[in-house]
Amino acid sequence: MNDTFLISIVTFTYFSAAVAFLASIIFRKKSVDKLALIITAAGLTLQTSAIIMRWIHSYKLGIGHAPLSNFYESLVFFSWSIIFVYLIMRRRYRNSLVGTLSAFFAFLILSYASLSGNVNCTIQPLIPALQSNWLISHVISSFLAYACFTIAFGTSILYLFKIKAKVNIVDLLPDATFLDEVTYKMISIGFVLLTLGIITGAAWADRAWGRYWGWDPKETWSLITWLIYGAFLHARLARGWRGIKMSLVSIIGFIAVIFTYLGVNYILSGLHSYL
Amino acid sequence: MIKKLNKLFSSVRLTIFLFLFLAVTSILGTIIQQGLPVERYKALYSSGVFSVLKFFDIFDMYHSWWFLFLLVLLSINITVCTSRQIPRIIKLIFPEKKEVDDSVFRSSQIRKTFQSQKKLSDIERQSEMLIKSLVGNPVKIKKEDGTCYFFAEKGKYSRLGMIFVHISILLILSGGLIGTIWGFNGQMNIVEGNRSDTAILFGGKGTEKLGFDVSCDDFTVEFYKTGMPKEYKTDLTIIDDEKKAASGTIRVNHPFFYKGLKFCQATYGIAGVSDFKIVAKNSLTGGETVLKLNMMKKVPLPESNSSFAIARFVPDHGGMGPAVLGVLLEPGKAHDIFWILKNDRNINQQQRGGFTFTLKDFTKLYYTGIQVSKDPGVPLVWIGFCLIIMGFILSLFFAHKRIWLRISGSQDKNEISIAASVSKNRKPFEEKLEEYSRTAFYGFTVE
Repeated sequence: MNDTFLISIVTFTYFSAAVAFLASIIFRKKSVDKLALIITAAGLTLQTSAIIMRWIHSYKLGIGHAPLSNFYESLVFFSWSIIFVYLIMRRRYRNSLVGTLSAFFAFLILSYASLSGNVNCTIQPLIPALQSNWLISHVISSFLAYACFTIAFGTSILYLFKIKAKVNIVDLLPDATFLDEVTYKMISIGFVLLTLGIITGAAWADRAWGRYWGWDPKETWSLITWLIYGAFLHARLARGWRGIKMSLVSIIGFIAVIFTYLGVNYILSGLHSYL
Repeated sequence: MIKKLNKLFSSVRLTIFLFLFLAVTSILGTIIQQGLPVERYKALYSSGVFSVLKFFDIFDMYHSWWFLFLLVLLSINITVCTSRQIPRIIKLIFPEKKEVDDSVFRSSQIRKTFQSQKKLSDIERQSEMLIKSLVGNPVKIKKEDGTCYFFAEKGKYSRLGMIFVHISILLILSGGLIGTIWGFNGQMNIVEGNRSDTAILFGGKGTEKLGFDVSCDDFTVEFYKTGMPKEYKTDLTIIDDEKKAASGTIRVNHPFFYKGLKFCQATYGIAGVSDFKIVAKNSLTGGETVLKLNMMKKVPLPESNSSFAIARFVPDHGGMGPAVLGVLLEPGKAHDIFWILKNDRNINQQQRGGFTFTLKDFTKLYYTGIQVSKDPGVPLVWIGFCLIIMGFILSLFFAHKRIWLRISGSQDKNEISIAASVSKNRKPFEEKLEEYSRTAFYGFTVE
């Protein structure tokens, strides 16, 4: 059995988890939420084994490296991070709708990774620039940050929907202050992780390219993202901004995240051509 | 005027504005490629647009006067805000008076009152246990009138977290400034066996003399089966004052240091090719001769009056791999010029002047691309990085918790007042306090 096959099972698992979480909201059943949680955890376990399998397989091919080095592997790890962050934050902010969102985002990313024609899922050897001890810490902190921002993006959208929409479904949504709180918590943790990602990236760049910061488009966009979320935190903590304004900043921040992750590679040119 | 400036720089509104303004303007430099030669921009834009962009230094915008100005504003903003916070934080960490102030029981974020007719010693014991399980070992103060106070706190140093983070931003910014002023960053391409003492600076900023020679003793590159480079490295020697001063090997991600300069393996390329081996097969006799030749050097062909030379080399001839342009010189005939491919491609070669030629082998002469940089600001930046992580850990994983408890009253009725404050996560703390106090003071009257 190979890891890409396992990943397709995981894709399906996350989809089922999203459906189960949604069902638990609609039918207001706690037991269904438990079931959804079990499905999600099973998905994460399976995905973790797929990642480890791929890691081992790369050693068997004689080009051993952590599976965090091309677009396919980054997408797989991105979805893994979303579920991982959800399971951790759930301990304090238990909510089925956030579960639906996380599982659905993870499902979307994995389906893109497996189905899209322009994502190459073969194990490729590492080019010299990527052969560094910084690879693992840089990628892990960056993607955990992306995952936090993704969940914050989801709760911000829900918040706006809850406040603005005039339909009955709104009653099924969690409390507006709860959504606001989750957005804030996810962004503050994501911000710290992003800072860590930028620092490990800078340390790596210093060894690989001789400078810790060179205003390469990827670097610049990570800074732009950092500045937007930095502004968010200052506005909230020092100025007491809440609600709609903060949701909008969170959404703009997430657009910057997506641009940092994808846009730079597909639209702009630079050193960071391998995601 | 000074008052106004002080007000401006102590406002977080300015910080938010600067953050967002820096974010928006930074986008520009990722769309317009930075540091190209001026001619390229002149060709891209009309003269009007060009002069506007030039005025704002958009072609090197991250080092422009206005970008630097924004960063200076941000630094002043951070300095003013942080220095204003410091006295308050110091007061929180090292409070002046140890005496308990009754006002906390009126003004704290979290307050609770219970009443009981139990024995005073029992209440004291239970109070102590409650505080211990919530925050930590309490200090007990008994006043002359019989009022008993307990106080405990934990994680007061977490208050330093935000200060650390802001100071670290200042350190990183000043490190960056020092690097921009006193540092440089350039590249030197050295052919195997050659040496150089000059780096060409990035962004068309001229050259930099290193004051010593860097010699490329050897360059090697390994490839994966896919043709992708696996590893490339340069053995280099530093020749300072015509003496061998240091030597080492650099690979990508493994730099070499000398006199405060950092040498990183950046690129490589083919500087030239030599020592071609070409097999000339006589079409009549079938005899093969290996011709050893260099570019533009004529050699006679065996068993014939003709001679042969090569005029050009290309690393890839129309997707068919390396090839040389051969010139056949037959007496009394015009030159015959044709491409000769490498023999491992199994491509049929044409017969020329009674011979079939195949390129067998050649020696590549590489040049190594070494990135040379000097940045005296780096230590400050590293200190800043460490400090920012420490600051985040302090403020993320620790909270400043304080709890005060007062037992007062007469013989038959005691009043227990609790006051508490936490620097964050107030809700879970309040819930815990509620739960614990309900167990500790079970049966007490809640006021």
